[in-house]
Amino acid sequence: MLALRRLPRYATRLTHVRGNSTLEAASAQASAPSPPPVTAKTATPPPAQEAASEEPTEPITQTEQTKGKQRKWPTRRPSISLERPREWSRPIAKGVEPAYDYALRYILRDAQFVRKELEELQAKVQAEEAKPEGERDVAALEQLREKMRILEIQSEVNLPDVRWKARNGMADFSKPIYRHLVEQRWREEGDLDLLMERIYQMKVVPDLLPELHPSFDLRIRYLEPPPKNNYLRTRVKRKLRQVEPGIFLLPEQTRRPPEIYTTLFHTDTRLYTLLMVDLDVPNPDTQSFTTYLHWMQPNIPLSAFTTSPTVPLQAHTPYVPPHPHRNTPYHRYVLLVLPQASASEPIDVPVLQESDRLGFDFRVFAAQYGFDGARGGGAHMWREVWDETVSHIYKFTLKQEEPRFGKMPKPDPYAELKSKKKYL
Amino acid sequence: MKQSCKTVTLACVQQVFNAEFQNLFSTSAPTSVRLLAVLKARPAVIMSSSLLAVSKQKLALRVSQTSVRYIGRQESGGDPKNDIIRRALYPSNIRNRPSPVGSWRPDVGRRLQRAIPSVQAHETIERAWFLHQRHVRRARASELQRKFESVRNAMETLRLVAPDLYVEANKEEDPRARSPAETDLLKKLKGPEKKAVEARIRGLFPRELRTPTDTPPRNGWTYDFTPIVRPS
Repeated sequence: MLALRRLPRYATRLTHVRGNSTLEAASAQASAPSPPPVTAKTATPPPAQEAASEEPTEPITQTEQTKGKQRKWPTRRPSISLERPREWSRPIAKGVEPAYDYALRYILRDAQFVRKELEELQAKVQAEEAKPEGERDVAALEQLREKMRILEIQSEVNLPDVRWKARNGMADFSKPIYRHLVEQRWREEGDLDLLMERIYQMKVVPDLLPELHPSFDLRIRYLEPPPKNNYLRTRVKRKLRQVEPGIFLLPEQTRRPPEIYTTLFHTDTRLYTLLMVDLDVPNPDTQSFTTYLHWMQPNIPLSAFTTSPTVPLQAHTPYVPPHPHRNTPYHRYVLLVLPQASASEPIDVPVLQESDRLGFDFRVFAAQYGFDGARGGGAHMWREVWDETVSHIYKFTLKQEEPRFGKMPKPDPYAELKSKKKYL
Repeated sequence: MKQSCKTVTLACVQQVFNAEFQNLFSTSAPTSVRLLAVLKARPAVIMSSSLLAVSKQKLALRVSQTSVRYIGRQESGGDPKNDIIRRALYPSNIRNRPSPVGSWRPDVGRRLQRAIPSVQAHETIERAWFLHQRHVRRARASELQRKFESVRNAMETLRLVAPDLYVEANKEEDPRARSPAETDLLKKLKGPEKKAVEARIRGLFPRELRTPTDTPPRNGWTYDFTPIVRPS
């Protein structure tokens, strides 16, 4: 954390000048630029010199740096979570910024007042609930409950430690304030916007379903692409990497089903259905495109406390790896996790056979089982293009003849002329 | 040894230190303490080199810098056309002094860091300020609401008690309306006095207000101004 103190007029010690350093080293150290300003995302203290920008230092210290191989250490976020929490501390010391000290006192006082109001309201609600069924004013009770929800958030939303915890992996989803802050971040700080931009630009919305308004954050991880160095292709263990919506993936990255991470904002457990559809399978009969269902799993229970689905996902219609056909334009693959019509009643969907997967009509399926993109859910999409791996998939996974697509041969307008003699 | 170092260099400081205070301080004391002693003993020495470096350092706020730098100087003599074209295609991007119009200043990074030492602190201050504004707005709105309610209740009471007075009280007043006494007065007045009576309409902007100008009026300030009293 960039914690600055008001330095005295002649400072004896500077934070980055060590006591036993010489004047030359001190000047060289001082001329190196200070660590970059703290962004809201990385509010944790960056390591001392690693986070500092890599601008060239004085020639005096260069020799020390070029000792040994210059390796690029990949930076990692510290593993902070609710199990390994960190305590919030003030970003700047008392007295450095009087406005901050006053703001903190103001916020704490306001939080106290709101909490008192909330307690009074809670007492009122309890008194109302204690009355027998007939005497209760249901509408007033509902209004009081709504006000309570608002006050619960208002009492803590300005507290800096709560906001810091919500941003740094310590959001306790049993408390409404953390659910509110995390949802606000997902909705307003770009993640949802990016997903919807890709979905609308790739025309997933009119092609697959008429409306899609995601209600929770769905993230997936597929294998990372192979290393550029061919020698390392089979010698380096590939890790999973988060997929940005809309990017191109290689068929070899999507051989295995992805890891799915969900961040929902309702505490009750509801049932969802997962579907993965390819929107651009060519259909020579209609000279157009049709859909292919790669994966389906209904009746997945999800809530704010499930970070990823707990039930096995290959139990219904198992995952078939994406196989974009040769000589076709890129294929769009959409992963949807939609809420079922009833939150607690499991639906009975017949397992789709291979013949039913091709030409899968999502709109008919949704109408039959009551799925609606406007009611919420989670979505993701990516794109893929043919690769030699697809031939491999056809041969060994699908065990089918690989179809090849192309344009119809053009009729030669000079065929007749060619057969005749030109010169008599 | 007299050294009038107005601007301090490393050599200057070292000379002073070496010549005068070497025997007074042990070698085990850290350099910074020795520097402090030097600074305390010689107030003419302004700053140590490390402090100078700190104050001169440009805080990198992720300013993207191109690898090629163009200078903006004019080539003396010759054809100005090529020069103009070159300056249009390759404007000067050497940032070593503030631009005359103020569109680029080199100390912005440092000043921003000083003003906003921490993003979290900035956010907290902003939230507290908006919260305060919200409270003020709420208080103002609720006070206005209370006053409105009290006037409405009073009017309701008046309606029940004295309906004809209620009708009178409900009549909307036309602020531009002129009473007969006022129209008679207007016929007698001339010039600026007439303007003064015509200009002031209750509830509207006073039209006789002098338009603000860059320069003061030629006739100066009217010290012996007497306002016209409207009859109504």
